[in-house]
Amino acid sequence: MLLMDYLQLAWKNLWRNRRRTIITLTAIALSIMLVQALHNLSSGVYAGMVDSGVRAGSGHIAVYQRNYLESRDESLFFEDRNLVAEIEAIDGVKQVLPRLYIPALAQSSRESRGVVLIGVDPQREGQINPFLKTLPKESMLRSAASRDAVVGSRLLDELQIKPGQKFVVTAQHQDGTLRSELLYVRGVVSSGMKDIDSSLILIGRERAGLLTGSTSSVHELAVILSDPGFEAPVHRIIATMLAARPDIEAVSWQRAMPNLANAIKLDYASQKFIFLIILLIVTIGVINTLLMSVMERMREFGVILALGSKPTTLRRMIMLEALSLGLLAAAIGSLLGCLATWYLVSVGIDLAALVPETLEFGGVVFDPVMRASWNPGWMLQIALYVVGLTLLAALYPAIKAGRITPVEGMRHH
Amino acid sequence: MSLIKLKNVSKIYRLGSQRIPALADLSLSFDAGEFAVLAGPSGSGKTTALNLIGCLDRPTAGQVIVSDLELGTASPRELADFRLQHIGFIFQSYNLIPVLTAAENAEFTLMLQKVPKRLRRQRVCQLFLELGINGLEERRPADLSGGQQQRVAIARAMAADPHVILADEPTANLDSHTAEGLLELMRRLNREQGTTFIFSSHDDRVISQARRVIRLEDGHLADDITITT
Repeated sequence: MLLMDYLQLAWKNLWRNRRRTIITLTAIALSIMLVQALHNLSSGVYAGMVDSGVRAGSGHIAVYQRNYLESRDESLFFEDRNLVAEIEAIDGVKQVLPRLYIPALAQSSRESRGVVLIGVDPQREGQINPFLKTLPKESMLRSAASRDAVVGSRLLDELQIKPGQKFVVTAQHQDGTLRSELLYVRGVVSSGMKDIDSSLILIGRERAGLLTGSTSSVHELAVILSDPGFEAPVHRIIATMLAARPDIEAVSWQRAMPNLANAIKLDYASQKFIFLIILLIVTIGVINTLLMSVMERMREFGVILALGSKPTTLRRMIMLEALSLGLLAAAIGSLLGCLATWYLVSVGIDLAALVPETLEFGGVVFDPVMRASWNPGWMLQIALYVVGLTLLAALYPAIKAGRITPVEGMRHH
Repeated sequence: MSLIKLKNVSKIYRLGSQRIPALADLSLSFDAGEFAVLAGPSGSGKTTALNLIGCLDRPTAGQVIVSDLELGTASPRELADFRLQHIGFIFQSYNLIPVLTAAENAEFTLMLQKVPKRLRRQRVCQLFLELGINGLEERRPADLSGGQQQRVAIARAMAADPHVILADEPTANLDSHTAEGLLELMRRLNREQGTTFIFSSHDDRVISQARRVIRLEDGHLADDITITT
């Protein structure tokens, strides 16, 4: 039989029981739409969280002194030596944020608290860091050497001070002595995350360096990319660049921020499990449809075999019926998936009324307006996966039909 | 030389632990161009004999040789190929494929033989004209009368120019007038094209049309008469 004949016959057989085919088609198409739209929504939400996380945290790629990540030992800093400029020159790199992290004691006239001072470059950080981006200009750090500090709202309350008031931070200098610096509250950050709001102090990097005695040193270079898709190639280039400095390493955000990476992994795993259940239910439906369609045609198959068809031809006919069903469902499902994704990208789902404003996920504040992101490769993968499942579901009915003899088949009523 | 030979053929069906003999030590041979009927009451073994001649089933004992093909040693694939190339079937209840049109049904064996669509349609149109069903090509089986459906089934059986056409009670579901017309048609095709027709029937009016009558009783050969005119 020629391929076109097979396809025509398969198509006609598919519509033999119009109602049953439409119901099965609808079930498959809706499940494809659901899986595609849910996956795109998750991707969008994860991407938003990663974006927020890398901007406030390690960047898409972070450069550290070896062992710093594991120990967070403040003595493990390294000299910049033009590294910031070199990394910024790489295609796909949007910004490099040099940072110092210094454990310190913050004291007001009334209270004292243990904190981690973050020494930043205000010019660079102001465009990227979500804690600073939302601050009005008059609340921003004015320069790397200024005595300005941006403080977490809870810490401010605990120290019982107000914006504009002074406080002192004390940290250990690299020579072992304690050094103090007087700072003024310039801005207040209210992130919604308890850990951040009760410990954050952002100051200029030079001022922070005075405390430790290393104004040109950094603990971290947070590399922000213009597109997360550049992560692997940029990582490779930075790693090559650092080959001459074996004491320094470049790590991915997943390694630098394991909490966020693991939270996303766990959430994605549970999503995949739900997808699997949806697809399993659909597969059972497809098996049922195809098996019913085959069982009620046993007599006809007997006749077809009697006329000279080989069992393989019969199996091929049934597999092509399943393929037609799968392809049609994949096309309709993907079209619906695109429409649903378009809605979720442009409008999104507003959960503000259902979740608290400060809901935290993997160390990042959860944005109550969930928006999807387009993921055409994955959508195609799901559609093809369902076509594959449909073919898999057709295997048993096809094998069963191919096993009958013409006489057995023709005895069926 | 005989086209079809059955040598001491037995066929026993198993139904659970029961053994049901359908044919017992049957020996027969058919020459090319015969117009023969297997006659006998229900359960006499007519359909079983036709199934064996048509390579649809294998004997329990004995040999069935059709155009030099020995059924017992042929693989299912070889049997399917043989049926496709050499044998045409007409069934009692027509057994047309409901989703295909009359022409597509008649083309089915040619389609299995991978004959291009244009040539298939040419052949089928010619057959429909000969069988008096031209104009019904695009109708579905459900829209045809019993007689028309059986003619489509004959067109399907004849489309690939088989050596032998086997018909199992071909007139059983037809009224006497249509049955008579159909038999006349089969005789004409036999006469004009030399196609071998072997059919089964228990209807005396049908049996009387055959040039050879083979009577079966309880799976045994009761009588084998060739009518000379």
